[in-house]
Amino acid sequence: MKPLKTLIPFAVLVAVWWGIKAGADVPDKLLVAPLAVWASFTGLVSHGILAEYASASLRLIGTAAIISFVIGVPLGFAVGTNRYAARALEGTLRFLQGISGIAWLPLAILWFGFSQTTTLTIVIYTLIVPIIFNTMTGVRAIPDNYALALQSLGAGRLRIVRDVYLPGALPSIIVGMRLGMGYGWRALIASEMLVRQGGLGDLIFGARTFGQIDRIMVGMVVIGTLYIVVDRLLVQPVETLTVARWGVLRR
Amino acid sequence: MIDRWIWRLLPWVPAAIALLAWWAWFAIEQPPASVMPSAFAVIATMADLAFGGRLPGDILASMARLLGGSALGIVTGMAAGFVAGLNRPIADFMNPLVVFFNAISGIVWLPLVIGWLGIGSPLAIFLIWNTVFFIIFQNTVLGVQLVPEVLELGVQSLGGSRWETIRSVTLPGALPYILSGIRSGLGFGWRALIAAELVGATTGLGQLIFSGAEYHRADIIVGGCLLIGAIAMAMDRWLLLPIEKRTVIRWGLVATGQGR
Repeated sequence: MKPLKTLIPFAVLVAVWWGIKAGADVPDKLLVAPLAVWASFTGLVSHGILAEYASASLRLIGTAAIISFVIGVPLGFAVGTNRYAARALEGTLRFLQGISGIAWLPLAILWFGFSQTTTLTIVIYTLIVPIIFNTMTGVRAIPDNYALALQSLGAGRLRIVRDVYLPGALPSIIVGMRLGMGYGWRALIASEMLVRQGGLGDLIFGARTFGQIDRIMVGMVVIGTLYIVVDRLLVQPVETLTVARWGVLRR
Repeated sequence: MIDRWIWRLLPWVPAAIALLAWWAWFAIEQPPASVMPSAFAVIATMADLAFGGRLPGDILASMARLLGGSALGIVTGMAAGFVAGLNRPIADFMNPLVVFFNAISGIVWLPLVIGWLGIGSPLAIFLIWNTVFFIIFQNTVLGVQLVPEVLELGVQSLGGSRWETIRSVTLPGALPYILSGIRSGLGFGWRALIAAELVGATTGLGQLIFSGAEYHRADIIVGGCLLIGAIAMAMDRWLLLPIEKRTVIRWGLVATGQGR
């Protein structure tokens, strides 16, 4: 029942797409038939081209996610546990959130040229700001009583971080991670389009120059599917797990 | 007294430190202007661009696109959201499609849509619409579905028609959600706009900073980025946040995120 419910809307969508293509006689340089996209997909897969471009993108977002997490979470903690630091940095972080990573792309190109480093820098910037921000808000939202209770029972600072701040802030950290991945995946694609050094953004933008609509559409479907897979299979289960396990804060 | 002053000034500390570090690094390292401009150069360049330069036109172009794309996204997103929110089968049908198209919303469409609309404002407006629509749609559906049925039935039992129920109960009940959707939608829309303008336009702030890269003018890029952040923050703080707050107080049937 469930897979059918998911598949039927897409079947209808493909039928409508086919109908428009065949009925209105749209030229191939604007829209191609579903079968052409499928043919292009199998071609790209069998030549290993798709795997190469997709793995480049995935490797980059993975690297960026790990780096941002490792740097961003401790930084968020440091800021969140100190109310002066939190007060000082909140506005700045908000301001930085307003400047999307992609806006720094021209500057990154000047500094690092048209290279993977440029894309990596942009994606890390895009990911790390919401992670720091959400870690900070998560820590700040924990009622003081919890930490004080442990303290009065003789717990050290490290113990409080481990038993109160970490579990208490985790749901918020995951939310930040999820938000960051949403922004970061888009920034990655956009950056790849302009930097043109591999990746799915490069694939679809490169196909544009040759007017290969079929290839563009394959790329779009792959980009969407990969994002959903990463979000559903990795991020969401962790989120439900942590909220169920440690959700001290109910909204 | 002194404590309060420190507290007041704290938010400006990072900016002051950044400015100082920038100035010190610039004085010691003296990097070429194409790598990093001095703070004075940025101010001078932005002033040049603002008075008699291309800046006013670029800001206007970007704002007009944001306004057009967001307005379209809000209207269509709310309409579709109400239809789906009030009809379970339609919501079930649309949900998988929304999940998928939300995953590729915005900039991913650029290569395909350049072929349809060419380079210019329509392209940017399409990308903003595409980004804003899904956020508004999802928030509207959520808001509509969360209005307690009791309230709707109450109006109906007093003789209210379906249309009256929607207008006087469902719409105000869902409004806080819709407005917080508009707030985050505009944030995403602003990002999409800048990305779209980098390649898909000849005017606008995104194009301004991209031309900075072409001519190796780091001063234009840094100034442009700071301006982009300032506009986003001003919009959020002075336009969207007050509207959201007011409606939550006025019509908030549903408690959201407790008063901060």
